[in-house]
Amino acid sequence: MRERLYIYMMKRILLIGIGLLFAGMARAQKNQLLLDEHNRYVYYQVVDMPGISTDSLHKNSAYFVKSIYPGNKSIKISDSAILIKDKFLTYTSFVKHESGEVTYTLNIEFRDSKYRYWLTDFSFTPYERNRYGVFVPSSQNHIPLETAASKVGKKEMASYIEQAGAFCKQLGGKLKEYMAENHTAQKKPDQQPAKIVTDKW
Amino acid sequence: MKKILLLLITVAGFNFAKAQDTVKTTSDAPLVIFGSVDTYYKDDFSGHANIPTSFAWDNNSVSIGMIDLGLKKTVGKASFVGELSFGPRGQYQSIPNGDGSTANAGNSYHVQNLYVSYNLTDKFNLTAGYMATFIGYEVISPTGNFNYSTSYLFTSGPFQNAGFKATYAFSDKVSLMAGIFNDNWNVYTSTHDVSTFGAQLMLAPAKGWTAYLNVATGPTSGTIFDLTTAYQITSAFKLGLNGATFTPAHGGGGYDGVALYPQLAVSKAVTLGLRGEYFEAKATTTTPKDHITSLTATANIKAGPLTFIPEIRFDNGKNQIFTDSNGAPTKSASQFVLAAVYAF
Repeated sequence: MRERLYIYMMKRILLIGIGLLFAGMARAQKNQLLLDEHNRYVYYQVVDMPGISTDSLHKNSAYFVKSIYPGNKSIKISDSAILIKDKFLTYTSFVKHESGEVTYTLNIEFRDSKYRYWLTDFSFTPYERNRYGVFVPSSQNHIPLETAASKVGKKEMASYIEQAGAFCKQLGGKLKEYMAENHTAQKKPDQQPAKIVTDKW
Repeated sequence: MKKILLLLITVAGFNFAKAQDTVKTTSDAPLVIFGSVDTYYKDDFSGHANIPTSFAWDNNSVSIGMIDLGLKKTVGKASFVGELSFGPRGQYQSIPNGDGSTANAGNSYHVQNLYVSYNLTDKFNLTAGYMATFIGYEVISPTGNFNYSTSYLFTSGPFQNAGFKATYAFSDKVSLMAGIFNDNWNVYTSTHDVSTFGAQLMLAPAKGWTAYLNVATGPTSGTIFDLTTAYQITSAFKLGLNGATFTPAHGGGGYDGVALYPQLAVSKAVTLGLRGEYFEAKATTTTPKDHITSLTATANIKAGPLTFIPEIRFDNGKNQIFTDSNGAPTKSASQFVLAAVYAF
């Protein structure tokens, strides 16, 4: 009887393990960038924001770019769209150090109760270690991510695509947080943490 | 069964950890770990080691270079780098032992780089410690060089300078470093004082082209002027140049030299390159001037983080400074090296 119960439990744990394995893989794959009709990598999302006006979305997204990209001089804000160019770093997986940087363009457009954003124009610059033990851009020019496979190995390429996808997803999450908040309303002063009174007991 | 379960749970957990790993958007990068491992085989055609430049010394032997281990961390505006090396290349062939006292003479500190730095502003940086020299084209780390054997300019110049330096970036295209360093090159501790002045002007005249004009001068260390430049002319072709002139503080002598480094990537895994060098030892009160030319043909064959470096080298002296297979003096020497360098 105990043996049967043991085998039953083991089977359950095995199934859960396999489930976790596939869930993890599926989650990792969701981060992948996709190619658009011009064969350029793009991360594209449309997000519904019921009850939030175009004006609020505009103000919220302007607040988002000013908060996330302080000092960035490429920001272009119009009545219905925002465009910004920036970059992020990629890292090696075995031990952590910078492997390169990816420049990108972020576009945000909004209309009644929804907005869309997409990141594209991904361009990769490999990093190399200099004599001081610091990883810096190599002398090679930027390589469009679409053609980077001709310059770097398959494994590295897959890693850059995955990291770019993860970055886009993270940035999209942050944008959603900003879009959902009312940044135009006057902010309440930060609440002080409750103090413990020890002289009355 | 239990083992399979454990394995599955570990792999699943790893997958989740990987999926959750997000790209860092703040300036506080993670603790950076880097390094390399290198090994080589050399065959000097005379049957014995002949060419006196740095590293790859052992003839007809599968020998080791070094294991290099570095850490770097930046928090806000403050950073440190600590880089230790173990093995002939990273110990007695490139760095000093101990502090020179009898009791400590054989105690290697293994230190290649050990410094702290602080960004006063986005453009102005202060750094202090024991640092790889700012002079020259080639470096100690095998991952920083295209050729595995080294030039006479590298071997004769400084490897490290301990001191304090300030760097100001006027723009992406121009920066200036000025600093004060220990009285001698390649020492952890100064002999008398901190009296070597060093400066570096960095110029980037075009995309892919950088040029460094360097000077280090002091009453003990002498004076060296150095030009180091590299230009990625096309995506496949890169040209490097190093020129230097050195005058010791006392006794005359010194050297002049120039080296050219053309490199051509023939595929994403294979790059072919040459190093042509002319090196002249200046006359002293007891010896006339002498010169040597050297031509090195090298391939870099990449397999992921591993690079195979087959290399053939021909040196030709003005005088009979080498020995042939019979031990008789000769003007020329040649060697074949096959090295493997793993970078992480």
